[in-house]
Amino acid sequence: MTQALRQPPAALTAKPAVERPSQAVERPLDFSIIRRLFACTRPYGRLRNWLLVLVVLRSVQLPTLSWLTASVISGPIHDRHGSGIALGVLAFVLWAGFTAGCFVYRSRYALELGEYVVRDLRRAIYAHLLRLPMSYFKRTEVGRLLGRTVHDVDSVRTGVQDVFFVTVVQAGSMGISAALMAHYDLPLFLVMLVMAPGLWLVTRHFRKLSSAAYRQRSESFARVTASLAESVNGIREIQSFTRQERNAQAFALRIADHADLNMRGARLAAVFQPVLSFNGQFFLALLLVLGGYQVLGGRVELDALIQFLFLSTSFFNGIPIIGEQYNQALTAMAGAERVFRLLDTRPDWEDAPDARDFGRIEGRVEFHDVSFQYERGVQVLSDVDFVAQPGESIALVGHTGSGKSTIANLIAKLYLPSAGRVCIDGQDLARMSGLSLHRQIACVTQQNFLFTGTVLENILVGKPDATTADVEQALDALGVRDLIELLPAGLQSTVGERGVGLSSGQRQIVCFARALIASPRVVILDEATSAVDSVTEARVQDALQRLLAGRTSFVVAHRLSTILRADQILVLDHGRIVERGNHQQLLRLGGSYARSYQEFVSSRSIDV
Amino acid sequence: MSTSALAPSVFSAAAPASSPLRRLLRLTWHYRSACLQVLILQTTLLGLSLGGLSTVGLCVDLLRHALDPSAPAPVWPLRLSPPSSWSASQQLFLLGALVLAMGTAYGLLSYAHGVQSGRVQHLRLVPELRASVFHKLLRLSFSFYDTSGSASIINRVTSDVQAARSFVDGVMLQGGVLALTLSVYAAFMLRANVPLTFACLGATPLLWWLTLRFSSWARGAYQKTRDLVDEVVRTMSEGVHGIVVTKVFGREAEELARFERRNQAVVDQQQEIFRRASHYSSSVHFTSQINVAVLLGYGGWLVTQSRLSLGDLIVFANVLTQFATQVSAMARVVNTLQESLAGARRVFEVLDAEIEIQSPRSALVPGAAGAPSLSGALRFEGVQFGYAGAAPALDDIQLEVPAGGCVAILGGTAAGKSTLLHLVPRFYDVRAGRVSIDGHDVREFDVDALRRNIGVVFQETLLFRQTIAENIAFGHPEADAAAIERAARIAGAHEFIQSMPAGYATMLAEEGANLSGGQRQRLALARAVLVEPKLLLLDDPTAALDPETEREVLGALRRVMQGRTTLIVSNRLSALRFADRIVVLDRGRIAEQGTHRELMSRAGLYYRTALLQGVGASEGGAADALALADEIAARGRGEPTA
Repeated sequence: MTQALRQPPAALTAKPAVERPSQAVERPLDFSIIRRLFACTRPYGRLRNWLLVLVVLRSVQLPTLSWLTASVISGPIHDRHGSGIALGVLAFVLWAGFTAGCFVYRSRYALELGEYVVRDLRRAIYAHLLRLPMSYFKRTEVGRLLGRTVHDVDSVRTGVQDVFFVTVVQAGSMGISAALMAHYDLPLFLVMLVMAPGLWLVTRHFRKLSSAAYRQRSESFARVTASLAESVNGIREIQSFTRQERNAQAFALRIADHADLNMRGARLAAVFQPVLSFNGQFFLALLLVLGGYQVLGGRVELDALIQFLFLSTSFFNGIPIIGEQYNQALTAMAGAERVFRLLDTRPDWEDAPDARDFGRIEGRVEFHDVSFQYERGVQVLSDVDFVAQPGESIALVGHTGSGKSTIANLIAKLYLPSAGRVCIDGQDLARMSGLSLHRQIACVTQQNFLFTGTVLENILVGKPDATTADVEQALDALGVRDLIELLPAGLQSTVGERGVGLSSGQRQIVCFARALIASPRVVILDEATSAVDSVTEARVQDALQRLLAGRTSFVVAHRLSTILRADQILVLDHGRIVERGNHQQLLRLGGSYARSYQEFVSSRSIDV
Repeated sequence: MSTSALAPSVFSAAAPASSPLRRLLRLTWHYRSACLQVLILQTTLLGLSLGGLSTVGLCVDLLRHALDPSAPAPVWPLRLSPPSSWSASQQLFLLGALVLAMGTAYGLLSYAHGVQSGRVQHLRLVPELRASVFHKLLRLSFSFYDTSGSASIINRVTSDVQAARSFVDGVMLQGGVLALTLSVYAAFMLRANVPLTFACLGATPLLWWLTLRFSSWARGAYQKTRDLVDEVVRTMSEGVHGIVVTKVFGREAEELARFERRNQAVVDQQQEIFRRASHYSSSVHFTSQINVAVLLGYGGWLVTQSRLSLGDLIVFANVLTQFATQVSAMARVVNTLQESLAGARRVFEVLDAEIEIQSPRSALVPGAAGAPSLSGALRFEGVQFGYAGAAPALDDIQLEVPAGGCVAILGGTAAGKSTLLHLVPRFYDVRAGRVSIDGHDVREFDVDALRRNIGVVFQETLLFRQTIAENIAFGHPEADAAAIERAARIAGAHEFIQSMPAGYATMLAEEGANLSGGQRQRLALARAVLVEPKLLLLDDPTAALDPETEREVLGALRRVMQGRTTLIVSNRLSALRFADRIVVLDRGRIAEQGTHRELMSRAGLYYRTALLQGVGASEGGAADALALADEIAARGRGEPTA
């Protein structure tokens, strides 16, 4: 019933490169994880406790139904006792009705409990991720991690809603069936009991084999989809380099490999099922011959034999089911462990507990001997020292990896400096609350990241309580309202994943508006490198100037015009400021800036 | 081994017009002998399991008769009773041995059954279908890829193929097995006692109806759940992707709330499913219990009347349990039928899709024995082109590039620059006019041969998860190390490859993520050079690079272009300096063309772009550029200029 719910969400499976979650590596049950999982159900204590009552009840109901059936057959029917039959049937119907009534709630509560725990875990994971500082996202392939975590959370669901409760039902049923059989005939029951460990071992053995086979299968399937995705995404390359035949052959090998593994799995299942059923038949033959012989000798009653025929089914059925649950428990445990590990990731740093809030920021930004490293031993900034007066615009210039973006990241308090101080209005950022800073700072990144939703919603990220009129006003202030109104539904136009549906120029403009509406005191901008056509380019440049006007701004600059306009240019090289001043001053200085400028100018003059 | 040999003709579009159902039936027919074997095995298995059950009944009757001679004597099937001299215990041993023998046979045959049906499914159906869909995909024209998302295309080879094949084993085979099982069980019960059979199975149609109704409702509901869960995951991964935006604007709380709403939507949707599902499964169980109750009551009465043996009653009880499990089997067959039809439709869509770009019957193969190789003179004559159903993206294009010459194409977004390039290797075909090489229409050439003479470098280069050497040799996998290194040197890639941990044998990460943009583009150049193309098409190869990296790539370009006819698209004037002539495209038409000097003297589109990008910027030039930028911006807003 819940099968559909356990399937991996298509968003992840469709993305072919996502790592398949590996199955549980066999390890003993870990009680600290179990305790913690149990703690997850605490908010739903009442539901959980009722469920517990219901499963215990059910573990009694199931064997007693079999017992009732056998009793009616071996009692009144065997004795041809008409009114006895009627009474027995009545009792059976009433008991079956009660069982069914309980079952409604037993399955519903279990499903609900699982769903609630899954919801809470998903929420906890996301809340935790939002709390982690940027350094975490730089180190970790979070996309991959999330893909696996979603699977993990779902295996935890199975652990919570099924493993424990199903085991209780089955173990209880087995116990009661065993007790009943022992009551009817102890020696016969003991003979039968000898079979149980064998069945258990066979089940465990095959489960182990089949989960190993499953792991191999899903790895090979991941290879199939990866190769497929590569071909689909690279179809331009494949057709222009006429690689069709070769890729088809390579793919055929992958599918053949996958098919072989599938076949191995099928063969394994084809062994396991017959072994199970043969086990049942063997037991039946034993029961008939041994039990029957005893019956003939008068040492065992026929009704005891009939009871055995019915009760043994509910006894033996339990073994493979519990074996399966044990497997599920291991998978759930491995999943839960990874989920908890993620939740336990300690942030590298957090706001100090006594962090103060910023009042209105004037916009004086100072770096005092700031050094920074993302990884130990790799110095990205060394002794950076500068002051930006309120309202000044600062251009950050330098080679890739010279530390421009890092300066921007430190001003936004996305990272803390390894040494030195970053101050705004004279206050050390390390002592101030991140939130109060972020309310007065805006950032436009190179990717011009937009969320799925409407253009309006994206602009409102800057200030969620703004009205549509405010947004229009902001667009007017940027002088770009006409460009947004050109979109099919204006502000209500939808933006697809990663900004699909908007041109790169439009995306930049939406990001500017998002920044402007936050009325920031400090603006940080990583200029886009990709070129748009000339007319849009000019409009974007114009909007940019309007955004920066009157605010302290830091621009990681790629455009000459942006650099020319800056009040102060910081030229960075290997994490140090090597030159500073405005354009004219730097040209007069005749240093590396002047040299690159000359080189740039000559590279632009085609007409040599 | 050619993959086309793998693909039986049954997959190809023999009669694309016929319905998917009809074609799936034909597909099943293709595997008829394997299917028949599975069905025969299944029938034997059924017989064995019923045999086992009735033996148990026989045992009970035997014991009962032995204990109480007034009870009816056991009735051996097919009058195969053992000699009357046999004692009850001897008969008992015989029956026990029989159960064991049948159990063994059952086990062996069911292994054969499992292997056989696995073989049909895993070794034949799925790989054969997948290979033929993939084979076709690789040949489909770009217009197909334009209209379908990559995830959807991937699903066609993976899950849609699985859905389509499930028609054979999940619908036809399982349906056959189901019908067989039900009729065998029914016949078995009817033979024992007709009225009892009807009484016991009375509630069954109700159960079926319930099941069908529930499963058709649940299919939609589960789909909705899956969509909602996808939405949750998407929100999560998007949030992580845009974490900087959320952090910088201090919107963690809002973002969490946004997530929370979607997360809760899943739970809300699930509640109704849980409510219905628990009622449904409970009523299914209860109905089968009612069947047992009827059996106990009515059957019990029949036993007291000696119209039914006690053994038969026990057998009946077991068969009823088996019967009940078939209910879910039926629901599964019906569900599978609908899913397989939907999957098959998508699979057949690919198999039937027309390959628009094909070689003509007597194609020219330049460079083949006896045929002259290309010199590379390229001409566009009155070319018009539009994407399916859309207005022309290119119109009235007249353009000539002499062999070995270089023409640059400049223009805004959607001016049709890339489209123009795509017409040369026939990624698309012209709507009117013609594109010719050495005087031959490109449509006269063998497509593969034509493309082998053309090297293409795209704006964003897709590299494959292979070694650097394999990536460079992509278009000519047999190339030796010396040739690969030569190509890398020409493309200015040799130095950085040498500095990689394993040099040319370094594995690239997915999409070349372990390389910088400039390095990726130089590998793309090397890849293009290696095939020694006569024509080179460069589609804005430096667009995604910063100026510094751009310079490195441009340096390499000069060497790469040596002796090849080159068309280069760019938005940056810096990339146009090698061109003999520059063509400015505007909304699909050629607006201007000439040398840089000619165009600069014309004060048109080119001139404005040039100034904006600071070409010839001296102190004054830069100021000019700023003024011009302001002016263009003002004009774009429709404001009067000063």
